[in-house]
Amino acid sequence: MNPEIDQILNLSALKLMTDLAPAMGAQYDQGMTQVVAALLIMSAQEYDRAADVRAAENADMRVLFAELAPVVGDADLRRELEEASAGRDESLRVSALNAANERLRRLLIRLQVHIEDSGGDTRRIWEVLKAMAGRRTLVLPG
Amino acid sequence: MNDDLTARLEPYLANILGVPDLEIANLARIPGGASRETYRFRARYMREGTEIERGLILRRDPPASLIETERTTEFRAYRAFHGLGLPVPEPIALEEGTEVLDRPFFVMEEIENCQVGSILSSNPYGEMREKIGRQFFSNLGRIARADVDEIGLGNLEGERDPEKCWSHEVERWEKVIDEDEREPQPIARAALRWLKRNPPPPAQKIAVVHGDYRTGNFLYDAGGNIRAILDWEMAHLGDPLEDLGWAIDPLWSHGDPSRPAGTIPRGEALAIWEKESGLKLDTAALAWWEIFASLKGLAIWISAAREYAEMRNADPVNAFSGWFCLAFHNKVLADRLGAA
Repeated sequence: MNPEIDQILNLSALKLMTDLAPAMGAQYDQGMTQVVAALLIMSAQEYDRAADVRAAENADMRVLFAELAPVVGDADLRRELEEASAGRDESLRVSALNAANERLRRLLIRLQVHIEDSGGDTRRIWEVLKAMAGRRTLVLPG
Repeated sequence: MNDDLTARLEPYLANILGVPDLEIANLARIPGGASRETYRFRARYMREGTEIERGLILRRDPPASLIETERTTEFRAYRAFHGLGLPVPEPIALEEGTEVLDRPFFVMEEIENCQVGSILSSNPYGEMREKIGRQFFSNLGRIARADVDEIGLGNLEGERDPEKCWSHEVERWEKVIDEDEREPQPIARAALRWLKRNPPPPAQKIAVVHGDYRTGNFLYDAGGNIRAILDWEMAHLGDPLEDLGWAIDPLWSHGDPSRPAGTIPRGEALAIWEKESGLKLDTAALAWWEIFASLKGLAIWISAAREYAEMRNADPVNAFSGWFCLAFHNKVLADRLGAA
């Protein structure tokens, strides 16, 4: 598509900040417009990466589950980890990726609690968590 | 709507101030956070033969609040610290009923000709950042120094046992996350477990904790003088390191965590706080409270996201908090705890 959605969002934010907000008389309206412009800029970033971020997170968690399942003593949890690690994302719709992401996150929390409680090594889990947090970070113009 | 507010507020304030001829003009909403609706207005009245005109601020509860806060707490904190000589607006009137303006509210002095630093700006204070930073951390030290009983806040919400104030706060914010999370938060959950497994030493003293002492919650004038510390709605009793950890959190550093609040170098900031508070800074304890600060941030942003997503408060600030700030603090905590 030309123009792309992220360009439309960024230029709309620019229009709000440079033309519309200064022309507003009320301080409250100006402030809200600036926040809305920031949300548009964030939406532009997310438009391009949303599916990729979620698919990468889901893949990372499945790999992690496959790695750590053998050291999990709890048989039920180990089976759930093995089943989850064998899954894959069938759709690239963000809503479908989000649904899978929530299921995997729940399992990740249970896995981390289990490993912490059993005195195991959580470094690989933190590697995945750091990567997840890094991918979701947003950048705003200064 | 503003005309309606004016018409209803005029007789109320006239009665409270004892000035029957009071008139309100130019009432307009201004930015003031998502937890209260904030309005500025002019009040004119005669007192002892003299015509008085002054700027006042109305803070009214919103239909749904970001955090369930007590406007009474905020009002009492304004009264206590205004009386102590800190730059805090004079509180005028507190109304806890719903008859006057449909929701509870309070009125306070407007501090005029000032501005507030935006967290969206990379350098909001320009050449005044060092002057502002020294006052910012000095004022925080003075809040920590205040005797809670002497200033009449000894019965504020919170924990008076120095051994328990950390766990009181962790439990408080864990409850918020339990109630408001809309999706699993593995980093917040890991942080909660870490905080419980690695408790800080007991508080050196129990102080009034402002609860949200940061960039954006103080006003400064063109000369770089801090004129008002605002938003005391989360004030409570606890460990003064809680406020210090929040004030130096990277979210408020405008992109340079080595200069907390976007002002002065960290070492200088902590030295000023130590001198003004009269307390000895325990760096290990502060490290715990810094982790706690980011976790508390996550809890607040999780609440904001829920308010917005469920259309209970569609203020765009809630969307920003529940998205940008949530992502930011997840990154801070993952980097800090993942390196431990």
